[in-house]
Amino acid sequence: MGRPGFVLEVDERTPALLVNEGEGARLERFPLGTRVIYPPDSLPGIRDVRAAIRHALLHPHGDDPLPALLRPGMRLTVVFDDISLPLPQMRTPDMRQLVIEQVLEYAAAAGVDDVELLAANALHRRMTAAELRRTVGDRVFRSFFPGHLKNHDAEDRANLTEVGTTRHGEVVEINRRAAESDLIVYVNITLTGMSGGSKSVAVGLASYRSLRHHHNVHTLRHSRSFNDPPKSAMHHSYDRMAGVLADNVRVFTVESTVNGDSYPPQVGFMNRREWEWSAADQASYLAFRKLNGMAPAKLRRQMWQRSYAPYGITGVHAGAPADVHPYTLAAVHRQQLTEVDGQSDIGVWGLPFICPYNVNSVMNPVLVMSLGLGYLFNLYRNKPIVRQGGVGIFYHPMPAEFHPVHHPSYIDFYESVLSRTKDPALIEEKYEEQFATDPWYTHLYRTSHAYHGVHPLYMWYWGAHALQHLGDVIFVGADRGAAARLGFRTASTLGDALEMARETVGSSPSITYHHSPPLALADVR
Amino acid sequence: MRRRGEGVRAGLRLLAHGRDLRGRARVPRSAEQWEEPAEPGRFPTAWARTPVAGAVRYGLQRGLLKPTTWTVVAPQVEGVERLDGLRGPVVFVANHASHLDTPLILGALPPRFARRIAVGAAADYFFDTPWRAALTALALNGFPVERRGGRRLKSLAPELVADGWHLLLFPEGTRSADGWMNRVRAGSAHLCCGYGIPAVPVAVRGSYAAMPRGRGWPVPGRPRVSVRFGDPLLPGPDENAWDFNARLSTAVARLWNEEELGWYGSLRDAREAAVARPAGPAKAGSWRRAWEASRPLPKRHRGPLPEDDA
Repeated sequence: MGRPGFVLEVDERTPALLVNEGEGARLERFPLGTRVIYPPDSLPGIRDVRAAIRHALLHPHGDDPLPALLRPGMRLTVVFDDISLPLPQMRTPDMRQLVIEQVLEYAAAAGVDDVELLAANALHRRMTAAELRRTVGDRVFRSFFPGHLKNHDAEDRANLTEVGTTRHGEVVEINRRAAESDLIVYVNITLTGMSGGSKSVAVGLASYRSLRHHHNVHTLRHSRSFNDPPKSAMHHSYDRMAGVLADNVRVFTVESTVNGDSYPPQVGFMNRREWEWSAADQASYLAFRKLNGMAPAKLRRQMWQRSYAPYGITGVHAGAPADVHPYTLAAVHRQQLTEVDGQSDIGVWGLPFICPYNVNSVMNPVLVMSLGLGYLFNLYRNKPIVRQGGVGIFYHPMPAEFHPVHHPSYIDFYESVLSRTKDPALIEEKYEEQFATDPWYTHLYRTSHAYHGVHPLYMWYWGAHALQHLGDVIFVGADRGAAARLGFRTASTLGDALEMARETVGSSPSITYHHSPPLALADVR
Repeated sequence: MRRRGEGVRAGLRLLAHGRDLRGRARVPRSAEQWEEPAEPGRFPTAWARTPVAGAVRYGLQRGLLKPTTWTVVAPQVEGVERLDGLRGPVVFVANHASHLDTPLILGALPPRFARRIAVGAAADYFFDTPWRAALTALALNGFPVERRGGRRLKSLAPELVADGWHLLLFPEGTRSADGWMNRVRAGSAHLCCGYGIPAVPVAVRGSYAAMPRGRGWPVPGRPRVSVRFGDPLLPGPDENAWDFNARLSTAVARLWNEEELGWYGSLRDAREAAVARPAGPAKAGSWRRAWEASRPLPKRHRGPLPEDDA
């Protein structure tokens, strides 16, 4: 059994600590007394994953064994999480491939002919054929692509259907093929508490018309945090929608969880606590720094994007979504939950190279904001690690770079909207409809590999809670122009950032550094 | 992303911060409770007990280690004649206050013992890195001993005894922090009782004053140290390990006291192990204990000291 997560207090013995900063990482000396949140040690992975999948499918929670649900002549739709999970991408064979192969084995044995596979990409960009192949495996790809292995299209009106409306008036509109299937098998990989469960079908296969009920500023400001479903207004909305779905379509979900092995062995030092670095870890850190610094930008990005995580699978559970998800959350908490005693004046986060929306792509400034103030800030239960009015210090170079194919509407959002206002509520009120219904963005979303027009606004909303909570946001090492466009201050060093933060939090602030990845979910008491 | 102006040297400095020359960092205090006990040393040492390695080692010990040790300190060896006639595997049990203790004892032993002795060395200190482990195994015939209730002593020491190796063990577990003796643990006694082999008590005096913890080389002036071998003790047929350990502790303590009281004086000291243990000045502050222990031995042994100085 590995060690639990814990909070380190920096003392004179503490070596310099690793801080991620986009496509790089640095060692940083933190002031004495700084608290550092470390996740539990990586849990051991299941040795025979295929056997665990078979066991989960044959012994589901709250539903019949999968083979009993399959019959000739039925319409079966297998839906799987898109490329935004897990992060970084896992090395092959992808867990989704293993699950889908087993599901299809049972389907073939039962004589099911009408099978469709859908990537649950919602308003995310369509996965490329190569990405689909990598995710589902060659055998599945060859058997189903392109006719029966597709991306979900949230703008294909002909293939969307309104399933119903929740008691809060939320429209539930999802992919028609899935809604009209006799059975949806949803194949999920859960990385954090926000994924899986009710979110899978209600979000992954939804349209903008349905998504806007929970992807909005009000909901996100009342999701504290969105990684803690019981206290997340966003998840309450998902649950209501899932209730409507459950009355209309049968969903059999297969959820799996991963351990903390986020980096490949050649950069294994990133998975270890710094005072436990061996001589080999230190040498590989130095080599990494040197090579990473010398590499041309394009090569560096490729190296990072191809650093596939050797995740171990910590659990596979199948059955009715509401019955399965508690097991999944428990497994996530076993891997990530770390108790933290109280809040600090200053929170520090090192932002990694990857977020859900720049896989095989570029992390533009808006995504940097959503990663820092959205995803990482919200890695808490009960209370944020920073007090109300405290300061968030984030590390990222934040170059003003955009992927023109993947993020076209981000460019316009960055240039035209953020130059006018940074207020999420005002942006929502004034610009959301324009971006969501722009025919050019819709065309690119449907035919190219672009994120939906409204997506950059959603990313801005993602940080709405942090923007409201924090008194100041400082980015260390960031491009000044890009940070200023986002409304953030920049500092060259941690020392400078702390000096700047003192204007807001006084002369002797308490500091907490949220060390990740591997991810730690701070349970702040 | 590489910071402008940061060179390899600056990166190395940052990496080296908080680490020793071997690149090891001390565990931050708040992380100590979460530290996993060190993995038992898995470093193989069998190669160091082959005839070739033994020949190399004996050459190193008698050609380099002993001359160096005898040059930097002035050892006085007593009681070697008590080993005459001793046959079969023997466990030498010594007090431990300095890294000098091992070379002193190995250098003082007659060749027939020195050629075939293995030294119990702390697994977490001497076997933590491959180069250190290899050096310990080759130069001293060290084998890893778990200081914290591990399995090594139980697994490897009996194996060595069965193969006819003598053992040198320091049952206090670690070097004394203040020069005085700590509790003698019963591991060696268990070994002797379990295998019916004799233990030879050994007392080293003056090594703490010559090279205490924290020093990498003895103090200048060639300080005198003494190495005393006691009479071999054999566990009785009905004697348990605890009783034998008490007897062994008393024997080491008497040897220790011989420095001040002389042989006969130490015999007359009727106190048992629990009280005879040279624990230093009673009710003394920590500095006084270290102060007394670090007092250099007189250059020449002059017999018992006046009572008020003892």
